[in-house]
Amino acid sequence: MIKLAIKSLLNRRASVLLTVIAIAVSVTLLLAVERTREQVQTNFANTVSGTDLIIGARTSQIQLLLSSVFHIGSMTNNMSWDAFDDIRSRPAVEWAVPISLGDSVGGLPVVATTEDYFKHFRYGSKQSLTFASGDAFKGENQVVLGAEAASKLNKKVGDNITIAHGSGGISFSEHDDHPLTIVGILKRTGTPVDQTILTSLTSLEVIHGGESHDEHDHGDSHAHPPAESISAALLGLKAKPLALRLQRQINTYKPEPLTALLPGMTLQELWKTLRVFEQALTVISSMVVLIGLLGMLTIMLASLRERRREMAVLRAVGAGPGTVFGLLVSEALLLTLVGAASGLALLYLLEWSLAGVIQSQTGIVLSFAWPTIAEWWRLGLVVVTGFVLSLIPAWRAYRQSLADGLTVKV
Amino acid sequence: MIAVSVRDLSFSWKRNEPATLEIPEWQVQNGETLLLRGPSGSGKSTLLSLLAGINTPQKGELSLFDTPLSKLSGRQRDRFRADNIGYIFQQFNLLPYLSALDNALLACQFSSIRKERIAKAGETPEASAHNMLKRLGLSESQIQQPAHSLSVGQQQRVAAARALLGAPPLLIADEPTSALDAEHRDSFIQLLLELSAKNNTTVIFVTHDAALSRYFDSHVELNDLNKAGVTA
Repeated sequence: MIKLAIKSLLNRRASVLLTVIAIAVSVTLLLAVERTREQVQTNFANTVSGTDLIIGARTSQIQLLLSSVFHIGSMTNNMSWDAFDDIRSRPAVEWAVPISLGDSVGGLPVVATTEDYFKHFRYGSKQSLTFASGDAFKGENQVVLGAEAASKLNKKVGDNITIAHGSGGISFSEHDDHPLTIVGILKRTGTPVDQTILTSLTSLEVIHGGESHDEHDHGDSHAHPPAESISAALLGLKAKPLALRLQRQINTYKPEPLTALLPGMTLQELWKTLRVFEQALTVISSMVVLIGLLGMLTIMLASLRERRREMAVLRAVGAGPGTVFGLLVSEALLLTLVGAASGLALLYLLEWSLAGVIQSQTGIVLSFAWPTIAEWWRLGLVVVTGFVLSLIPAWRAYRQSLADGLTVKV
Repeated sequence: MIAVSVRDLSFSWKRNEPATLEIPEWQVQNGETLLLRGPSGSGKSTLLSLLAGINTPQKGELSLFDTPLSKLSGRQRDRFRADNIGYIFQQFNLLPYLSALDNALLACQFSSIRKERIAKAGETPEASAHNMLKRLGLSESQIQQPAHSLSVGQQQRVAAARALLGAPPLLIADEPTSALDAEHRDSFIQLLLELSAKNNTTVIFVTHDAALSRYFDSHVELNDLNKAGVTA
């Protein structure tokens, strides 16, 4: 009977093909919503995998997290170097990396920091940054490029770049008189680091008109802070449980208003606020799937009239009305199964073809994984819905073939 | 054995309506070929749906080969039809998307008994259907063609092959030649009867054309058979 159903479907291939496409596209959409959410969340979590605490001037935690690590939005206030110095000297702190933001090269963010950044920053499953070529910056007027930044700017080690103030693509105040030399290019990490241009705090200070420390006595350099103020700092602690207490201490820091956040917890908060949108998207994509399946229902119901002869022939050779019912249900099941499977295939095809674009635009690396249990559930739900909807035309065909018997008057 | 045995049969499509069909007594002998003639509205399709086991009479007895159809469930009647009755429609006998061969093979789809009969003759269903189609004058290429690309005459031959495949004891043909011209009609009937005779198949051939009666053992007017509206 499956063979019969397949042949019957092939006979109506134009409308069947359209139905399958509608179901496939809607299934792709349904899965893509969930998959994008998961990928974005893992990606964000990967970016902050080695950092226990992020501190900055008083602002909302989500804003501080997004601007300091993901370069989304901008920081309005800075924290003083003194406060940073005070906090990093506390016994609970194992390491501290200052970062200063606000400049850009061709729209890519410049992150001014110290050499410690390369030592302590961790991504993914606690991996360190590694160099594709060259090495970390050591002195002034040197920069290190992220993998994506290097390919976007089309630069290699030894080339010069100039930094513009502000984070837009075009800036009116380019620091042309201070070309920086590229000394290193990082390997791809799949995090926003790929998009960034890393330089030392002192280099940035010089560009912004500060004094060059080289003119001073080298033995005295520790007394001079590399910058008056910084945008934020990443902290690593000696023991994780200390994080909450230190966070409270920093949030109530007396000399100046500061914000400290636990990256993991703040991300969770962010996802919680975004959940409404996710759910809206899921509802919308479910509706689209339903529309796809209703399209199938329409086509099946419309075809029943012209298929009455087919049913009469089947009954003449001994098919019962139950067989007619089963035939239509198996047709619908085949349609939804093929539709769901093609939807899944389309999803992988899209992931595969768009992975490059998505990474260069957003820094998010799509990982190819087998469908998760949740995705199988969604697919299963689509097929079950298709099955339930098919009971309508199947029932009508059943009634019709009972009433028609062998005499069809069309 | 008696192929068709009817006694005091009465059937109406709706309850509490006068009967469309009332047959006090009617018998068709096994192996007999019978022309059943009736103008439209004489209860022809009603009688055929009763014989095929699609509907059952409200009153009376209808037995095919000593099996009382009214004692069978709907499912059993479907099974009985698959095993014992070859049925040819006026036209549109075939599933347009199947090849001529697959259409003929539909006869075996729902009947294991037909398959057994073919196996007893030492053939596979495919070979038997193939031979039958060739015997009915279809070419090799036509046998493989999808049914919708065949002419009406060829389609009726495929329908005949399907009806006769697996040697069912009863063949019901509902005006199968009405779409054919005179020449094709006569050769079709002759071939149909010739193939039926080989298996001793009982033939009930319904038509409005009395001129065809010369081909058949007996000729019955449905109006003589059906007493509905006469006594009421």
